[in-house]
Amino acid sequence: MGLALSISDLRVTSDRGRQLLAVPKLELPAGALVGIEGPSGAGKSTLLYALAGLLTATGQVRWGDADVLRLDAEQRARFRAERIGMIFQDFLLFEELDAADNAALTALFRPRTERAALRARARARLASLGLGEQGLDRTVASFSGGERQRVAIARAMAAEAPVLLADEPTASLDRAAADRLIDDLIGLARATGTTLIAVSHDTRLISRMDRILTIEDGALTDDREGSA
Amino acid sequence: MIAFWDSLSALSQDLLMTVLLLLPSLLAGGLVLRGFAPWPLVRAILRRFRVASILFVLLIAISVGMGIGLLAQERGLRHGTAQAADKFDLVISAPGSEMTVMMSAVFLQPSDMPLLDGATYAEIAGHESVSIAAPLAFGDSFGSAPVIGTTAEFARYLAEDRIEGRMWETAQEALAGALVPLEIGGGFAPAHGHGDAAEDNAHAGEPLTIVGKLASTGTPWDRAILVPVETVWSVHGLANGHAPDRSDQIGPPFDPAYFPGTPAVVVRSEALWANYALRSEFTRDRETMAFFPGAVLAQLYRVLGDIRQIMSLMALVTQVLVAAAVLLGLFILSRLFHRQLALLRALGAPARFVFAVVWSFGAVLLLAGTVLGLGTGSLAASVLSRIVTARTDILVTAPLGWSEIHFLAGFISVTLLLSLLPAAVVLRQPVVPSLRG
Repeated sequence: MGLALSISDLRVTSDRGRQLLAVPKLELPAGALVGIEGPSGAGKSTLLYALAGLLTATGQVRWGDADVLRLDAEQRARFRAERIGMIFQDFLLFEELDAADNAALTALFRPRTERAALRARARARLASLGLGEQGLDRTVASFSGGERQRVAIARAMAAEAPVLLADEPTASLDRAAADRLIDDLIGLARATGTTLIAVSHDTRLISRMDRILTIEDGALTDDREGSA
Repeated sequence: MIAFWDSLSALSQDLLMTVLLLLPSLLAGGLVLRGFAPWPLVRAILRRFRVASILFVLLIAISVGMGIGLLAQERGLRHGTAQAADKFDLVISAPGSEMTVMMSAVFLQPSDMPLLDGATYAEIAGHESVSIAAPLAFGDSFGSAPVIGTTAEFARYLAEDRIEGRMWETAQEALAGALVPLEIGGGFAPAHGHGDAAEDNAHAGEPLTIVGKLASTGTPWDRAILVPVETVWSVHGLANGHAPDRSDQIGPPFDPAYFPGTPAVVVRSEALWANYALRSEFTRDRETMAFFPGAVLAQLYRVLGDIRQIMSLMALVTQVLVAAAVLLGLFILSRLFHRQLALLRALGAPARFVFAVVWSFGAVLLLAGTVLGLGTGSLAASVLSRIVTARTDILVTAPLGWSEIHFLAGFISVTLLLSLLPAAVVLRQPVVPSLRG
């Protein structure tokens, strides 16, 4: 089951003091599928990274009971490892590892007792995304863009995190691969009750979301229901 | 603590010292890697940057190999020279430089030396504590082989009685050292002098025959031809050490009245204390000088010991500098996979895990380079030993020993601790800019 998000007075500023993002108030229910759109440089990815606790910010970002901005760096890392899966535009895979090792990457730093189960879940996710036994042991360097992004989804969901944050997940894919990925991503999120927040310029992805936020010049300018 | 250390065997001390030297790196490694399994990522990074990794490993291997190869060689040379002087308990000569006499008598390096007369030799040979008093006579050669006049007793003692063929019985017979290119039954005429200045035909009318071959001693004497000392005196037109009515005699006793002189007498006594007594007795102003070649070598080693320490320090500093350069390279290399490191942080990896990946990458390169360097050093020491042995005729063997193991253990610890620095620096890089590429 996903986690609910509650933001209040979130502010992100640059090292030189320039305000990059300000979100006075935002509430998202657990299991919501949320799309974030807006022009390039508006602050969409900044919001995503702030939600993951990867940026220094002020205010409150509460995932369930936990305010990530109140956690120190190592607590935030542990929170991400347990609660947040992340997907990036250019996949960010280890090219020399096979699909199974990439999908189970987080097993390398999880407690020994959790590693076997995490690896098994990663393989199951890969299988459910169509990367069955034949593809598991190939290094991802030989994979197509669509296959790589599916490996990245499997990695993000292997830990059964209740939150999935996706930064332009279809931007590096052709249309056919992007459409398949959208189906996979939304299908998995709905099936598992995961809270999904995706930053994207892809209208086909955004239109499939429950709720759509628009960010312009570092501010939330629109918050509407999606057509899904 | 000192008493405990002293109570341990040499092997135990060496093993314990190795462990102690490795301990800092073992502790650091244990602390950094505890609870993590970074090896798949380290393997992936090594594969990604295999050319750079191989170059780094080779650089470290060459540096380590040169360092330990030279150290082993220096020890082998000391051991070889000490071995060469082993049969020369006490040398008595006219006063002068002990080093010159030792180089001449023990290492057969030609030099002009004043002579001891027959009365002095008789006094030495007749001393109750002396079991061997061998006069030496230099000056002739055959090819690159010096021709040395001495007594049969000393020749047997030198080769520990391992003589193929037989001992000389006349003044026209000789024994060849193990490396002399003459076989038993072969003849030769000694040239007067050595090297390019030798007069080949000076003794052409005095041909000699090899009747025996000495077993290898691992000393410059292996390349020498030994002849009765009477032969050397005779071919130079001198009295042969015996009265005319005994002119066919070979070996002692010599008649002081017909003794032409000897630059050095090698003395052996059965009792250790007697050697000291003889040294004291024959150390006389303006008459004789008695010394232990081993003691002269020890003085030389003391001087060289300081140089060795400097060499060791320089080798260590050089290797640490190379390792530091490699670690700097690692830091630069880590910039190439900074996105992957940022990804790990984004996925929730603890900082210590990212630190462990970078440190392990460096550690693998350093350890691989060190192990390869051990092989390279061993090979270098072996090759250098052969070259030095061929050039000096001193048998030099330089197997790697505990001092090299300790050196490597220290090197590993220092460099693995140093490699914590680039790992720490990499960790300070901000995550989000790296994720954004």
